[in-house]
Amino acid sequence: MKSNIFQNSKDVFLDTVNAKDYVQLDRVSTIYQALKDSVKKPLKMILLYGKPGTGKSMFLMKLYHDLSASQKVYIYQTPILDESEFYKTLAKDLFNVKYKGELNFTQFMLIVDENLIDETPLVLLDEAQLYSNPLMEKIRLLSDTRKVKFLITLHKTEKEDLIAKEHFQTRIWESIELENASSAELKIYIQKKLMKANCFDSANMFQNKSVNLIHKLTKGNYRDTNKLLYTLFDIYSWYDENNPSKINKNTISNKIIEMSAIHTGLIND
Amino acid sequence: MINVHELERRWNRYKIKSYIPHATIVVSILVIFTLVFSLFTSKEDIVIPPQEIQKELVSVQERTSLAKTGHEENLSVKSEKTEAVAQESVVEKKETQQVEPAKVYAQVKVPSKEKIYLTPSLNFMKNINSEAFPYYENDPSAEEDTLSESESNSNEKTITPEKKIVAEAEQERQVPEIKKTSINIKRQDTQEDIRHVIKRFKKSHNPALSLFVAKKYYELGDYHKSYNYALMTNEINNNIEASWIIFAKSLVKLNEKEMAIKTLTQYIDHSNSHQAKLLLDEIRSGKFK
Repeated sequence: MKSNIFQNSKDVFLDTVNAKDYVQLDRVSTIYQALKDSVKKPLKMILLYGKPGTGKSMFLMKLYHDLSASQKVYIYQTPILDESEFYKTLAKDLFNVKYKGELNFTQFMLIVDENLIDETPLVLLDEAQLYSNPLMEKIRLLSDTRKVKFLITLHKTEKEDLIAKEHFQTRIWESIELENASSAELKIYIQKKLMKANCFDSANMFQNKSVNLIHKLTKGNYRDTNKLLYTLFDIYSWYDENNPSKINKNTISNKIIEMSAIHTGLIND
Repeated sequence: MINVHELERRWNRYKIKSYIPHATIVVSILVIFTLVFSLFTSKEDIVIPPQEIQKELVSVQERTSLAKTGHEENLSVKSEKTEAVAQESVVEKKETQQVEPAKVYAQVKVPSKEKIYLTPSLNFMKNINSEAFPYYENDPSAEEDTLSESESNSNEKTITPEKKIVAEAEQERQVPEIKKTSINIKRQDTQEDIRHVIKRFKKSHNPALSLFVAKKYYELGDYHKSYNYALMTNEINNNIEASWIIFAKSLVKLNEKEMAIKTLTQYIDHSNSHQAKLLLDEIRSGKFK
């Protein structure tokens, strides 16, 4: 049954965005609380940004999961790039208005005015860097009416910085940056994740030395860590089935960490 | 499914690659260390420990003493031969002369078990020899003269002081090796000798040569000339005792007793020479006339 443990551990690190998989870390918890407080404030637009794999999507999903019970929250994980389609989707979801044919910004604003509701809906837009500049401008105008509140996430790259400067610099009331995990945070992240799935033996295998090496390889990036550990437990599963004498089940082998890194492309051999 | 074997192979390759910079650093450090160490040790090699120097000195001294012994033996043999020269043929003498240096050389070489000792080059000796007495070697007739003359007892008396003078003159020059060559001098052609020596003196202004000439002239009874050459010698070097003595003796012979006494007194004041004192006493007492 040992092989099942490694198999289960492997599945823990499947790169999925699921609010249930969200791991509460001290720093992240603080940021999350700050974000929750911001949402309650009458702010027009909130920006959540950070490097790819720092947990923005997971953050957004967790927020949606937590707020959906208490307020009107709408999440769009995949950007709706067509402008008309974007307005139509919003009209349908926010105001339950089904519009046939092309819907432009002016028509959408009329729908918003006609369907005023007491509670300001919160729209969560993931991967906002993919929206076109004119559409971003419309989103900004829409948020200025205070009839819809937006929380958008952006990748923090030079290009996205430029977008942020051009469109949101003076309009964003709150911006929160997500960063990569430190080595200690990464250890907690890995162990909490494994323990959530009842993989206690696997969780205990992660000593500081192993976590430091993982942190060195992934630079604390959650997505890279997930990928690396998924491969790591895949390799452990293989050894457990084919050559169990070659693995030590008390600690994670640096060799297997490095093999995983080679496989995932974190190390160039 | 992951191909773990392939992954292990790639991991091995990665490990080897990752060790290359470390290995390079270690190897370069080792190379540098070795170079520095070798340089250091080579420097140490150059610095000979004091014991080694002492050893070498001792061995050199041994060799020198051995050479001296050989030389002295040589000298004694030669002097014996000089005494017995009337009974020996010229051929025998030549043989002796040829054999003896070899003998000396053999004696020097026997104790020298060390291979690396440097021996002084004696090439310069050849020059000195040729410079000092070129006519002795180039005049075989003179040698015959010597032999014929040495047969007569009366002439043998003149040989001894002549040898003495030459030895003294060479001592003044502080070239002890000259003695080696001076041993075989048995020439009687005093005027010719003097002429040669004067010629050389005019070139070199060596006080030893002028003293030699002064002594020669004194012996020949030419006191004016002996006085002059002694004076010249004193002018060049006023610390040569023999020169002052010849000078004083010449003055006495030239009936300048007071002048001789005065000169000697001054010289004695200056040098405190024992021989000069003796001569002064002899002059004063009238023993020396």
